[in-house]
Amino acid sequence: MIELSHVSKYFGTEMAVDAINLKVEKGQFCALVGTSGCGKSTTLRMINRLIEKSDGEITLDGQAIEAYDPVKLRRRIGYVIQSTGLFPHWTVARNIGLVPRLLKWPAKDIQARVEELMGLLGLPVAEFAHKYPHQLSGGQAQRVGVARALAADPDILLMDEPFGALDPITRVKLQDELAGLQARLHKTVVFVTHDMDEALKLANHLVVMRDGHIVQQGTPLSLLQHPKDPFVESLLGGLERGLKQAALTRVKDHMSSMGPTLPSQFRIPADFSLRQALSMMLRDHTDRLAVVDQQDVPIGELSLRKIVKEAQLEKGSMREA
Amino acid sequence: MKPDVKRVIRSTQATAMTAWLWPFLWGTLLAICIVGIPHAQGIFQWIEPDVRQVIYQRTPFYVLLERHVLVVGVAAVVTISLGVGAGIAVTRRKGQDFLPLVSQLASLGQTFPPVAVLALAVPVLGFGTLPIIVALMLYGLLPIVRNTLAGLQDVDKDIKTAARAVGLTPLQVLYQVELPLAAPVILAGIRTSVTINIATAALGATVGASNLGDPIIAGIINNNMAYVIQGALVIALLALTVDSVFDALQTRLRLRLSSS
Amino acid sequence: MSLLDALPTPRLGRGGYPNAVLISLSVVMLAAVWGLDTVSVAPNRIVQGESVHVQNAFGWPGALLVSLLVIALGSLAYQPSRIHYWAALGVVVLLLVLMPFGLMVASHFLIDPELPQARLGIGGGYWVVLFISLLGIVELRLRLGLKRLWPVFILSGVGLIWWLCAWLWLKDLALVQEFKARDHQFIQAIRQHIILVSTAVSVSVVMGTLLALLMRRFARLQKVAFALLNFLQTIPSLALFGLLLAPLAWLAANVPFLAKVGVSGIGNTPALIALVAYSLLPMVRNTYTALEEVSPDTLEAASAMGMHRIQRFWQVRLPLALPVLLEGVRITTVQAIGLTAVAALIGAGGLGTFIFQGLGQAAMDMVLLGALPILILALLVDAGLGALAEALRPGGVQ
Repeated sequence: MIELSHVSKYFGTEMAVDAINLKVEKGQFCALVGTSGCGKSTTLRMINRLIEKSDGEITLDGQAIEAYDPVKLRRRIGYVIQSTGLFPHWTVARNIGLVPRLLKWPAKDIQARVEELMGLLGLPVAEFAHKYPHQLSGGQAQRVGVARALAADPDILLMDEPFGALDPITRVKLQDELAGLQARLHKTVVFVTHDMDEALKLANHLVVMRDGHIVQQGTPLSLLQHPKDPFVESLLGGLERGLKQAALTRVKDHMSSMGPTLPSQFRIPADFSLRQALSMMLRDHTDRLAVVDQQDVPIGELSLRKIVKEAQLEKGSMREA
Repeated sequence: MKPDVKRVIRSTQATAMTAWLWPFLWGTLLAICIVGIPHAQGIFQWIEPDVRQVIYQRTPFYVLLERHVLVVGVAAVVTISLGVGAGIAVTRRKGQDFLPLVSQLASLGQTFPPVAVLALAVPVLGFGTLPIIVALMLYGLLPIVRNTLAGLQDVDKDIKTAARAVGLTPLQVLYQVELPLAAPVILAGIRTSVTINIATAALGATVGASNLGDPIIAGIINNNMAYVIQGALVIALLALTVDSVFDALQTRLRLRLSSS
Repeated sequence: MSLLDALPTPRLGRGGYPNAVLISLSVVMLAAVWGLDTVSVAPNRIVQGESVHVQNAFGWPGALLVSLLVIALGSLAYQPSRIHYWAALGVVVLLLVLMPFGLMVASHFLIDPELPQARLGIGGGYWVVLFISLLGIVELRLRLGLKRLWPVFILSGVGLIWWLCAWLWLKDLALVQEFKARDHQFIQAIRQHIILVSTAVSVSVVMGTLLALLMRRFARLQKVAFALLNFLQTIPSLALFGLLLAPLAWLAANVPFLAKVGVSGIGNTPALIALVAYSLLPMVRNTYTALEEVSPDTLEAASAMGMHRIQRFWQVRLPLALPVLLEGVRITTVQAIGLTAVAALIGAGGLGTFIFQGLGQAAMDMVLLGALPILILALLVDAGLGALAEALRPGGVQ
């Protein structure tokens, strides 16, 4: 879907992005992570030609981006930024309907689409359609920003630290909603963030950048298991890396069938994460948990010793491979 | 509709109404003066008991007013199109070379006293109405350029980025985003420019242009206070009328930009 | 990362791109040199001068020299680099320094020594080249990233050379003749102008500060005072001067005490009243916003550290407000310099006298004699107070 090969960007003599290769498949959620100034936003902006690359090749759907008219290209790509970039002189409804209007949709279709999106993002039409951006809270404004980006149903969504300015609670809520939306809509998303937890939570392809280079890329789990160097490791949380990995693993992947011993009195649903299971073990002073299904019927057992052993095996087998 | 929304709308309408009250008031007073001065012999005789002729009669006041407005109006139309155009041009990519010089010049421009500009225009352009218009244009250009630049540059960068990113063409970014957001600042610049020009045009009477400055100059020369008062009154009312019109426009713009 | 990153890199870094500004300036200059009249020659004061073009004024060698300098400026801008910009600055300064010598050459060629009344006027081409050279200096200062004081130094040097030339050799120049005819009057007028301006500004600084302080205490006063001052500022100066004439004349005639103090319809009193009235608005507005704009967090921190109200005002609020306050003084003074010129119409004296007398007698050089010093005065005050405000900004020049 999106492919960057040997793409570089210089500002004057300064190298912002240095010959990076990146491939984002259709429907993939790709997160670019790195400290500020590492070139992740520049990379993002080269994709919709807000910044012209200096070198290399970017293709969308196999076509070089130069082949597209930049204006038409941008109308086909959703774009969300941290400060929302909503037009302060337009109402919420007009802001959301912007791209469909640029694409000259019939007024009725625009209206319907705006209402549909507002419903999708939990913004009651009656309450919000005629408000102006400065009358919204940060979380509401960013919902409108996402709705605007989705308005013309683009295949690609570019997001530049969209939740960076929100308070932690709102941020987590919007992250959950975005994950839910993505599960339904299957957009191809490129998401820039410096928040590793956010990236681990949302992405299925993780790209770590530093000084304009890609240091490492792969699935979140593979990076957690085999960080290439101390930089990636520290970015992934250093000592807490194990917990982050556990957060990505489901209980059911590590449970064993019921043993001959009595099931533990402590129960955990099968689709909880390993991290939650570990937390429960610490809290309840136990090294065994009974795994239950949605009807609260025990279906297996989780033991601390087994988790540790399997983690060792996994690491060993990955190293051999 | 909720009651507080209704109240907001009503108060908005009320503000919009009162905003137009002043232009109406000053305009009416101006009209009364124009019509009434020739008939107010008694009052002015009381001011200047020793002078035989107390009403300025060389040219009727409505003609003077018309000339004054014409000169300021022509200058304003030219300066607004040139000034806003220049401000837009140097903030575009192609004109950005000129941006530092133009913005420096625009901020320096307020330093030149209008009288000096007017005086310097005469040796080059001669006496009469034309040099006045040219001097007014030169002088009135700078506040408009300055405010256009300030207005356009103050538009949040992220908003401009977002506008480009969703696929607005450069022209659409300008017309749909930058200009509407910069409009209040640009309008303030136009207001300054026109206010200064009304005052400067009056000085044009000293370089041979016939307008509302005439009675004042004639009064000073002939030591006839009645003339001076008549001229001063009408110019002051004209300036107040025009200024209050701009004030009302600004209020309306503000309301449109920041209310529900 | 901002939108500006999407633009090409600044030109100075890479060289290569021509500087369109300097090239356009030099093209306009070249057109002015050859298209407009360079000087004018008149047998006496009143007769309209006869305009003379560049090749006749300077002779062909002189005309070619000027053109070469202008072309050099344009070509230096074609491939800009730091060295080229410095060279271009040198060319512009050379051009400015050569200007009075050009006039000497012209007077040598064109003025008949037999006619004592004959005089040389400066033509449109000369003014345009002068003006554009000044623009060029501004542009080069910005490109080279020089401090504000640089052009002031350069222009003071150039001005000194001009003044020396005018003093020693340029007695045929009409401007010089006008000056020589009334040098005492001229110095008197400048003094009068400065006295009027400084009196009006001092009064309005005191009154404005007091008013601003009162406005911070009484919120209702703020609205009324701003409305009133805005109203005053809107009234054209000529009208305000005019409207003050009658009541003051009446007062002077009917209240002998006031007449004794110096109140009269014509002259300094109405001028000062009007000047103060106009000066109050920028003064009050800037003082008020300067004091209000100080960050509440800083003030809260000051209180939290245990400062008294008074300590807080003198040690925190005022020093932080000072640059904006001075900005108000600058605007007020520059505006007053221009308005004082208008005050000459009601007999207040000052440099405006020359302007209006000159206009009355159609003697353009006399108008210049009034207008040029006003302009220079305004620019000097502007630069001086601007530099002072910059220096007072905490943390130095920004």
